[in-house]
Amino acid sequence: MPDAGSTSSVTQKSAPLPAKPFAPEDESALREALKRCSPSTFEAAVQFRKTGNPEHVPAVVIGVIERFVEPDLRMKLKDADDDLRLIEDLGIDSLTMMEIVILVEDVLQMSINNDELRNLRTVGDVKTFIDCKIRGLPLPKPTKFIPIEHIGAVMPIQPPFLFLNEASVSSTAANGKYKISGQEFFLQGHFKDNPVMPASIMLEALGQLAVLYLLEGAPTEPGKMVSPQTIFFTGCEGVRAHRVCKPGDILSLSIKPKRMKMPLATFEGSIRVGQEKAVIAEEITLTFGIVDAANAPVPINGVGVAHGEPVVTAPEPAVVPTPIRAAMNG
Amino acid sequence: MPRVYITGLGFVTSIGNDAATVTTHLRELRHGFELYPPFQKPEIPCKVVGTIKGFTADSTDPEDWTFPDRYRIKRELLRSMAPNGLFAHCAMLQAIEDARLVEADISEPATGLYAASGGSPMLTHYHHERLYKQGVMRCSPLGIVASIVGTLNFNLVAAFKIHGASCGFSSACASSAHALGFAFDEIALGRQHRMFVVGAEDGNTDAILPFAGMRTLSLQPDPNLASRPFDAGRDGFVGTGGGTVVVLESEDEVARRGVRPYAEVLGWGQASDGHNVAISHPEGTGSAAAMTLALRASGVAPEQVDYVNAHATSTVIGDVSEARALRSVFGDHLAKVAVSSTKALTGHGLSLAGAMESAFCALAVRDGFIPGCAHLTKVDPECAGLNLPRTTEARAPGIVMKNSSGFGGANVALVFRRIS
Repeated sequence: MPDAGSTSSVTQKSAPLPAKPFAPEDESALREALKRCSPSTFEAAVQFRKTGNPEHVPAVVIGVIERFVEPDLRMKLKDADDDLRLIEDLGIDSLTMMEIVILVEDVLQMSINNDELRNLRTVGDVKTFIDCKIRGLPLPKPTKFIPIEHIGAVMPIQPPFLFLNEASVSSTAANGKYKISGQEFFLQGHFKDNPVMPASIMLEALGQLAVLYLLEGAPTEPGKMVSPQTIFFTGCEGVRAHRVCKPGDILSLSIKPKRMKMPLATFEGSIRVGQEKAVIAEEITLTFGIVDAANAPVPINGVGVAHGEPVVTAPEPAVVPTPIRAAMNG
Repeated sequence: MPRVYITGLGFVTSIGNDAATVTTHLRELRHGFELYPPFQKPEIPCKVVGTIKGFTADSTDPEDWTFPDRYRIKRELLRSMAPNGLFAHCAMLQAIEDARLVEADISEPATGLYAASGGSPMLTHYHHERLYKQGVMRCSPLGIVASIVGTLNFNLVAAFKIHGASCGFSSACASSAHALGFAFDEIALGRQHRMFVVGAEDGNTDAILPFAGMRTLSLQPDPNLASRPFDAGRDGFVGTGGGTVVVLESEDEVARRGVRPYAEVLGWGQASDGHNVAISHPEGTGSAAAMTLALRASGVAPEQVDYVNAHATSTVIGDVSEARALRSVFGDHLAKVAVSSTKALTGHGLSLAGAMESAFCALAVRDGFIPGCAHLTKVDPECAGLNLPRTTEARAPGIVMKNSSGFGGANVALVFRRIS
């Protein structure tokens, strides 16, 4: 069976703005198309079609999504933030996603191709995407899934000090996973007969995810790129550990850029284990430099200037400051 | 070889949407025909259809459909269904309840599902029209699985999380009889211990009207006369839709679950006419061969058969062909075998017919009656010699045969036995 919804489409014309005036017969067609959507969705669609004002687009998009979500899940959309996930939170599969797209295309008079569609993971992704299409802006970089081999190839940090098993990076965030195997060398001493992942190493893992974001997700000017050899840790604030993490736990890491201004990039970060909050960092700041893409250094493998040094300074497990340990246990 | 039993039934038919109503209609010979509103136009020559009551599934948008409150079906499931999928889904729910199956019995590796429908001509037409008018990329992503032949098994297997054997059957009006036969084999060969057998059809304008071109539909506008198999005045069949589910189980499962079966399935046979794409062999050779094979496989002699639920659709050629086949198989015992076609009450359910009429046989065997020949007033001389009871007989048939025939001259015969 072909994987439904994954076939690539032929490139379609992109129609940023409605061309012809909105006629009464258009309104009745619109009413029919949106007959199972809320009245406000229909109103927003009429306004958009009459004025071309992109401010009406989010209401249309949310209204169309709502119509395809099972009734008992619709409440989630009412006070949803943009992080609400289409598949995991709203139960929307790839086929429903296409139903949504076909109706949005029909109502907003635009074309979306399948390749673009595949990158939309959250309600925010959909809103941003449609907004960029309507305004004729370049589309945001899609979320990239980065497997372990690729992480190793691009990162200046290498095993045994690399704490990412997999990651996904978009232009607005990065998410990663790390499973505490129990084989980490520092667990022998942290603590005696009681292996606990050092909070400092968890902060290091968040820092590493931020490095990956700078290398793979951060928007740069054409022909430029962030050099892996220029990224270093400068500071962090508001770090709290909430949960003791032990071998077998899978850390779900996420970071979001808060400010980016050469040469500093500031992120907020968090780690969860399942649904439980493990670590919060209000700010992690890295310094970085830009080079010409043509002069980019070859990815470092095992040896190199930046190897082991950048990002959070990682104290030896034996000298974990008492306050952090106390926070972890309390 | 494990013995195979019928342990559950579900019905959405022109003569009732539950076993009790269907039984009443069969006993009392009450038909399910109406003047079908979409056919009441001067340019449409046939008028009568075996209609499904309590459901509306005329719209091309499943969210417009209405069905009895006892069924709750999520949009996620409805959106990929054809009308025949809706009917069958409801019949599945009934059959599961009737057989007292729990989820662990349904969704496991030794439970399978064989199904037959003619697809959905209405939805094929709708989605193709959209494709040509609106463009390929504005077509519903589920248009294909809702409309092509196979839509029934795709939807049911996914909705009921079937893990065992699944397949669709396409031998036109013999389809769901084939499905039942092969489902019997799955259990008899020890590959599965439980099979759902499903037949369903849309039964709407797009599904029925194309048969008018072949001149096989009755043009009789009186619902009480339109379908009369073996009658000299018959002029074609009356179309119908709906869905029927038959649950087959191995003797071990029957014992383990402690359920009381409707009937035992003894065996089946099939043979082809090799004659014409749409016309039955005039002597019914394929049908006769199928019956003979079925009797042999079942270890039953012709004289042991008490009742034949005939394929007879009320067409001029088909009924005579089957009468000749019956004559050649039963010979001297012909007068002893009661024969009726319940299509006189339901109309012809096409791919649905075999499963629906097998389920009728299961009701007759369990409840102890032989449905009479409704609407039969003057037997066609070509069908003379058949024992065609005009009224329902209140006696329990011990062994029953079900015949089905389809385009291309495909013939199936199934044999059932009463549980004593």
